[in-house]
Formats: sequence, C-alpha cells, structure tokens
Amino acid sequence: MLKNYIKIAWKVLLRRKFFTFISLFGISFTLLVLMVASSLFDHTFGPQMPERETDKLLFVNIMREQRDGGFSSSGPPSYRFLDQHVRTMQTPEMVSINSMFFQVNSYINNRKLALDIKYTDRAFWDILEFNFLEGNGFSEQDVRGANRVAVINENTRKQYFGTDKAVGQHIVVDQVRYKVVGVVEDVPALRLHSYADVWVPITMKSQEFSRPGLRGTYFATIKARSAADVPKIKEEYAGIMQEVERQQTEKGTTLSSHPDTFLESIARTFLSNGKDSGIGILYVIMTVLALLFMLLPTINLVNINISRIMERSSEIGVRKAFGATSSTIIGQFIIENIFLTLLGGLLGFVLSAGVLWLINDSGVIVYANLGLNIRVFAFGLLLCLVFGLISGVYPAYKMSRLNAVEALKGGSK
Amino acid sequence: MIRHLFKLIWNRKKSNFLLMTEIFFCFLVLFGVMSLVVYNVRNYTKPLGFEHDNVWLLTMRPSADSAALNHQKLEQVVQQVRAYPEVSHAALTNSNAPFAFSQMTDNLSYGNKRSSQADHYEVDDDYEDVLQVQLSQGRWFGPEDNAAHHKPIVINREMQRQLFGEEEPLGKLIPQNDSVNYQVVGIVDHFRGYSEYSAERPAFFTRISLQQSDKSFWGELLIRVKPGTGVAFEEKMVQEISGIGKDWTLEVATLEKMRQNKSKLTMVPMIALGLVCGFLILNVALGLFGVLWYNISRRNGEIGLRRALGASANQVYRQFIGEVLVLATFGLLLGVAFAVQFPLLQVFEVESVVYFLALGISVVVIYILVVGCALYPSRQAATIHPAIALHEE
Repeated sequence: MLKNYIKIAWKVLLRRKFFTFISLFGISFTLLVLMVASSLFDHTFGPQMPERETDKLLFVNIMREQRDGGFSSSGPPSYRFLDQHVRTMQTPEMVSINSMFFQVNSYINNRKLALDIKYTDRAFWDILEFNFLEGNGFSEQDVRGANRVAVINENTRKQYFGTDKAVGQHIVVDQVRYKVVGVVEDVPALRLHSYADVWVPITMKSQEFSRPGLRGTYFATIKARSAADVPKIKEEYAGIMQEVERQQTEKGTTLSSHPDTFLESIARTFLSNGKDSGIGILYVIMTVLALLFMLLPTINLVNINISRIMERSSEIGVRKAFGATSSTIIGQFIIENIFLTLLGGLLGFVLSAGVLWLINDSGVIVYANLGLNIRVFAFGLLLCLVFGLISGVYPAYKMSRLNAVEALKGGSK
Repeated sequence: MIRHLFKLIWNRKKSNFLLMTEIFFCFLVLFGVMSLVVYNVRNYTKPLGFEHDNVWLLTMRPSADSAALNHQKLEQVVQQVRAYPEVSHAALTNSNAPFAFSQMTDNLSYGNKRSSQADHYEVDDDYEDVLQVQLSQGRWFGPEDNAAHHKPIVINREMQRQLFGEEEPLGKLIPQNDSVNYQVVGIVDHFRGYSEYSAERPAFFTRISLQQSDKSFWGELLIRVKPGTGVAFEEKMVQEISGIGKDWTLEVATLEKMRQNKSKLTMVPMIALGLVCGFLILNVALGLFGVLWYNISRRNGEIGLRRALGASANQVYRQFIGEVLVLATFGLLLGVAFAVQFPLLQVFEVESVVYFLALGISVVVIYILVVGCALYPSRQAATIHPAIALHEE
C-alpha cells in the first residue's frame, strides 16, 4: 500500500515539474535555514570539544551584588571567593578555577598577533577534553611553581612557528617568554569558558589571589561525578551562597551566583534575574521563533498543495466512488506530502552542509567548526515530519470532503 | 470596475484568503527587516564627529600595586608616549573609547529638564587633537580649567536640544550633585562613539586632569600616530612601556580594527536576516506565481466568454492584474494596520520616520512583487483565443 502511494506521489511530482520545483525549493530552503540555526545552537551549547560531557559540566561565571537602594553590580567572581568556597565543595568530582580570556599582543617578525590568553590551573586540563596535537597540558608542578609554560592552539602554532613542531620552543606573549608544552586543536570562540589562543598557569597572576571582594575576573568549571549529581551540586552551592551572604558586613546585601550549564547561564543573563534560570522561557521563545519562521513557507506550501490536488479531483472521485473513506484519502495525501518533504529535506541537508562549510570558511565566527552531526540530523528529520504534517493536513482534509459526483465531473470551486 | 473585481474576489474567497494571509505575513517580515535596514543605513550616513584613521588605543591593566604607585607610573607612561617622534598626540580616556564595547551612561538635569540616558566620556585635554573633534561653539578643555571653580564640560548638540532647547548653553551651570556644578564650555555638533550604526544620543565630556587627582587611574590611552607608522614602532613602544609598568597587561589595537569588529557585529546579523527574508520572499513569489498561473488557467471558460462578447485582450489582461492588486491591497491594509502600531506606540526608541520609510518601501516592494508574479499568467490568459477556450468548456 505504502509503496503504491509513493509510486503515485512520484508520478504526480513528475507531472508538473514547475510546481514540484516550487515545493521542493520552499521545503529545502526552510529546512536549510532551520538546520543552520540548529547547528549553530549545537555548536555553542551542545557537547563539543573540549566540553564533551555537557550534562556533567557546570560553570560559575557571574556574581551579582545588590544592595538596598538600587545599587547593583555584576561580573565574574574573584579568585578568593572561588578558592575559599567553590574549590572546597564536597559533591563535585573536580573543580577548576580559570580566568576569563584577555586579549594581548605578541610580535613576531614585524607582525603583530592579537592573542587571547587564559590563566588556568591543572584541573582545567583534567576536566575538559582537548584534542592535543602535540605534548600535553601543564602539570601540577608547573602551576605550583608558576613556571613559564604555555599550551597554544593550532592557529597560533601556524602563525608563530609555521609548519615546525612547537613543543619545546619559546613564545613571547605580553612581553613574557613562555616555553610551549602542548598544542591543541582550535577551540571555537563561542565556547566562552574554554576558549583561548594561549593557556598559561594561573599562578602567573598570583598577586591577585589575595585581593578581597567577591568580584574579579575568574570562572569556575565544575565537573560532577554523574549527571544525577548536578542538582545536589546546585543545592550545595546555594547553601554556600546563603552562608557568604550572611557574612557580608554591609547590611541589605543580596548576592546571586549559580553553577549553570552554558545555556542556563545565557538564559539567566537575558531572561531572568531571580532563582529560576529561565531556561523554560528560552525554549518557548526558540520554539515560537522557529514556528513563526515556518509559518510563511507552510502557508505557501498549503496554497500550492491545494492547487495541485484540484487537478486530481477525478482520481479522488473514482476512489470515492469505489468506496474509499475520507480517512484513507487523508492518509494517502499526508503520506504523499511527507514523502515530498523528506525529499526536500534531503536536498536541504545537502544545501546546509554547503552553507555550513561556507560559514566555517568565511571566518565570521572565530575557529568555527560547524557541522552536521547525528543530533542536528535527528532534529532536521523531526522538522521535516512536522513540516510535512502541518502543510499536508489542511489540503488533505479539503480534498477528502469533495463530493464524489462533483469530483468526477471535474472538481468544485 | 473595482466593484466588479471585488465581486470576483469574493466569489473565490476561500482560495483568495490563503493568498491574502500569505501577502500579509510577507509584508510583516519585510517591514521588520526593512525597519532594521533603514535604521542602520540612516545612522551610518550621519557624521561620526571624529576621525579615527591613524589612531591607536593602548589598554593598560595594572597589577595589584597601590593606587598611588600606579598613578605615578601612568604619568610616566603618558609622558613617554607623548615624547615619541612618531606620536603626534595622545589622550587618556575612560574605558568607553570610540568603538570599544564599554559604555558609560549618566543623566544630567537642568532646571526641570532631564536628559535621557546620555553617554558620559571622561577625556583629557588632548582628546580634541587626537580624534580631531570639531567644536561648533566654545572651546575644548585646557590648562586654564585647572583653576576653574566649576567642572568644565563639553556637550553635544543632542544634549543641548534636550536640556536647553533654544537657550544659549555656553557658560550655563548644570548641577552634578548638591555641591558641585558642571559649567558648559563647548559644544560639538555630532559625536557617536559607540558604533557607526548607533543613533545620535545625548553625550557629554568631562575633563581628566592627571595632576589634580593623585590616586586615580585611567586605563586607556588614545594615540594619534603619524601616517605610515607601523608594527615595528608599536612593538618598541609596548616594550618600553612594559619597562615602566612591570606586570601590567598591555594591549594595542587600532581604531580601524575596532571599527571593523563593531561593524561586523551589526552587519553579520543584518546580512543573515536579509538573506532569510530574501529567501522567504522568493519562496512566496514562486508560490504566488504558481497559484496565480494555475487559477487563471482554470478560468478559461470565463475568459473565452468575455472575449466572445467583445472584450479586448488588453481588457482581460487588465482585469487579472487588477484582481491581484485588489487582493494585495487587502493583505497590505491588514499589514499596515499592524505595522503602524510601532510608530504610534513607540515600541522601541526609534524615530517614527524610520518606520514610515520602511513601511513605504515594503508596500512598494510587495506591489511590485505581486504584479511581477501576475504579469506572465495574465498575458497567457489574454492571448487565449475565444473559440478554443469555449470549445474546451
């Protein structure tokens, strides 16, 4: 039966090539846009090198202080706070403290390299899974002794050393001479908590460690033993924050800081400032945007589908005259439409692979490595089915209601 | 004629309804994107109020030494930079240097008038020469302000408009707090430091005086270099400065590079949106074309009859174009009713002109689009020979 439906659908597609082209164009480009968007989303928030186990990773990146009278200030927390309160937490498997990245200059052969430098501890290399091309992350001894060692990324190696091996050589960044101990694959700039061009021991900044106050320039990366531990970590953290808030000398101070996944922290920054991360709202907004975007192509497809089925009214008339029920006809048409959308989806996949390659190549996003993986693929497939269903239901319903006699005569208005 | 067309459309209201919703949504999308484009283009064409060629920005992040020591080192750095023969001028500024990502806003009030979210730039005496700011009235800060009783400020034209209206602003006092007053010493016509695409906002400059405050620190130094100065000098300068400020983190960027980064931030989303919008419209146009073609070809009998009764090919042609235009007008009326709410309710703080321009452009584009789509099918319909058409029926 299914085979028959698909055969008919194929024949119909070949009959009016211009209409087929319009339908396929609409479907494939709609899916193209949605696929590129979902790939971008996955690239930013999904499990990717070096943050592969996203369900176990939490980040602390904001500390907000509010006092009675409207004063409010927020930014990354200080080293002292993270060292005293976060590194000592019981539930996580590991905690790393690392600085935000800073842009600094490096000069080589009358050329300037603007490099982003990040100060990290040893746990950083244990928690995150970088792809090392050469060497390794620096050791605990390096961190403790504030040794001038650095891990650089592939692009910096290319800029600085050309095609040579980098490990063992020296690189001068921000007027400091570091020995290169490792080279990693480029980390996309959208991975705010791991990205840098050059990583050096955090102890290079040791003069800042004792600076009082809660605000500074540091992040914490927390790894849970298992994904199920994440709520426990959040609970422990909330307890710590209450304790810290109580210790504040200034009356009426409220502090707010949370260990979040990257997506949660984005949602929290833009959508809420309370306890709830606002991630639910974020999902709703994204769904609504996607549906709004799909609305126009869907109406268009419905329009074309209606025109096309009117051509087939005699076929429907015959089927109805021989006893086919409305639901069979609706079923047939929906299957036909899903077949069409899947075809368009296939085209969309090919197109989006091309567009993603173009985006990567253009360097609009630094070190972007957008690609189609199984998650994006599955999402695309889902979109195809939804799209096919939505745009197929109304025309199919309309068609199934045709009166057999009228349909045989050549359709209604 | 028009009434006749309405009747024809009403008779096929079901299929026309879908076309109308399509035009309606298409218009809304186009209006949204056009508003953004018009807003950015209008801002881009306004003068910036300064020259950024050959200007570098040196950012200094000091170490944890005492404030007094850092201040002392900063004085040395500024002196050192100004002494280079390659440097023509250098000026300290707060973190909101032109094209930087940081912003500082403040409100001023004069009498019962209050400025809305004004940009506050803290700058020193040489800022005028570094950025070649053009004053239209009054003067820039200078050593004569050292002994001034009130804090001198320079304001821009937008700020003047909001605070003083028609009044002459030079010499007027604006209270900063209960005990200190600002005194207006100069006016610039334009100054849009944040981005080439940002709107003209009220702005004011206050004076940095290194000598008078011995503990404060400003981390950004704007440097105008002589044309042709390159990386070699930059390296030398950074090396020598890091000799003064040990453990400081130094960064040099050209304003041109910063401008490009900023403009990328506006252009990339705009181009992406434009492409998506373009695709949607192309999609709708193709669909419209297909549906019109199909619908018109189904009305052979009607066309044959009209031709047989003496209507010319031209009249038939005009009928179909007219029908499509009426249809589009319905969709547009609905769309315009929605779109007009934006300027009426002032949803975002954007001049109404932007919306009306966008509205006009969108309406014209949609009309061109539908007429373009209807042209070919209508011509096909008009060439139908009455005998053949009637025979088919």
